[in-house]
Amino acid sequence: MFNENLKWYFPASIPKAVQLIEQPGIILHGGGTRILKTQSRSIIGLVDICNLKLDYIKQKNNLYHVGAAVTFGKVVKFSKENNCLSMLGTALSEAASTPVRNRITIGGSIKDFPLWSNLIAPLIALDAKVEINNGSSKIIPIEEYITSGMIKTKHLVKEIIIPEDEKIIWRIKRFTLLKFEYPIFNIAIKFKFNGSLVHDAAFVITGVKNRFKRFNKAENIFMEKNLSEKLIKQAMKFIEPKFVSDYKYSSAYKEKVAKIIFEDLLLDIAGVKQ
Amino acid sequence: MKIKFNINSKIEELEIRPDATLLNVLRDNGFTEVKCGCSEGECGACIVLIDDKTVNSCQVLAMSAASKKIKTVKGIGTLHNPHLLQKIFASTGADQCGFCSPGMVLSAYSLLKENPNPTEKEIAEALDGNLCRCTGYVKIIEAVRRTAQIMNENLISRE
Ligand SMILES: Cc1cc2nc3c(=O)[nH]c(=O)nc-3n(C[C@H](O)[C@H](O)[C@H](O)COP(=O)(O)OP(=O)(O)OC[C@H]3O[C@@H](n4cnc5c(N)ncnc54)[C@H](O)[C@@H]3O)c2cc1C
Ligand code: FES
Ligand code: FES
Repeated sequence: MFNENLKWYFPASIPKAVQLIEQPGIILHGGGTRILKTQSRSIIGLVDICNLKLDYIKQKNNLYHVGAAVTFGKVVKFSKENNCLSMLGTALSEAASTPVRNRITIGGSIKDFPLWSNLIAPLIALDAKVEINNGSSKIIPIEEYITSGMIKTKHLVKEIIIPEDEKIIWRIKRFTLLKFEYPIFNIAIKFKFNGSLVHDAAFVITGVKNRFKRFNKAENIFMEKNLSEKLIKQAMKFIEPKFVSDYKYSSAYKEKVAKIIFEDLLLDIAGVKQ
Repeated sequence: MKIKFNINSKIEELEIRPDATLLNVLRDNGFTEVKCGCSEGECGACIVLIDDKTVNSCQVLAMSAASKKIKTVKGIGTLHNPHLLQKIFASTGADQCGFCSPGMVLSAYSLLKENPNPTEKEIAEALDGNLCRCTGYVKIIEAVRRTAQIMNENLISRE
């Protein structure tokens, strides 16, 4: 149940919106899908972001800027029509369903970062940044935004900034037993090559203990080397995702499945998967 | 509080609670063609168009839709003046109990406006948010395909 005195605000500028959310009990409203699920009585005001002109996707200097009010559906359409943002577009096309994707926003999904997020793993793998405003504007790598605890503070997410991903090789996996269920975990893998040598790599999983894990040690094994089955076997020793058991799946089950999927995706990229 | 909504191209001033979902506001004010199945965003019975995009009205706080164009299935065609999709859904046997039909028809309508010639896969993808307990989906997909075909052959407007 919401608070009976719930008030709505429709500011037309970011400073006004930020000023409003500085007050206790007043929060931003993006698509509202999460706010509706939680229906906290402590919320006394909702600040709708629809008049803040944050519904844009722009490309500038090999970077894509995606405004906080953009829906998953809009990113998917943009990615298909412009043949770009392929990793993110594909990941978001698998989230929920068409009408839900038409509602959930990038801003709300970053700030909320649910365990089943389809958004965060690819954003970390892509080295995306997030621009926030809490009185002044800051641009922070998405990984730092989460690990530093900034995600939990009061601020407005203005946009995400994503490097062009034309030259990367990537795989993602949204793991769920039934397509329309919330995913149990999401994996994103990225490789960038310099000739035949691995120049950059990112192995990320969300849905785990502490919400996400990036396997830096495993990534480092491939640096400036040819991708091979032998290296993948070595790297797998450092890919140990840790989960919490829930009413459906034990942590051991999730850990085993996640490891198998990681290895399959890596072998697939290396071209050695049967 | 009284709030103005644009529903099916008419301005309606409705008494609402600030925490009401769009689904409840619509149904409480006579738009009972919008169905309530799960209230969780999973079945698609409550689908309406907001600014031409399908959304689950049970997942929308009504206040956030106040300045937008809302369309229910009656906004595209009525019993006496049905849209081609509605006619073909009926003649193909794509509705049985009919509970999912308003949402299905709106999802199909939105698809055909964007993609006049969808493949079977594209139709299934566009209807991924609509559950039907009766038909097994085969007739629904057939109805959407037939509608697209007739619209294209006869150059009928998708409005
Ligand atoms: C049926 C269903 C299935 C779903 N399945 C998936 C899935 O498979 N994968 C997936 O990734 N997601 C899925 N989601 C979406 C996910 O669970 C969240 O509901 C969604 O990401 C929240 O986005 P929103 O725009 O609706 O946020 P809101 O509900 O509007 O807000 C969420 C939080 O973010 C804050 N906020 C909103 N906008 C901003 C902003 N610009 N800056 C700072 N803070 C902000 C709000 O104050 C609130 O605290 C699903 C949702 C539903 C209803
Ligand atoms: S009633 Fe809204 S999706 Fe089921
Ligand atoms: S016709 Fe009965 S639910 Fe679809």
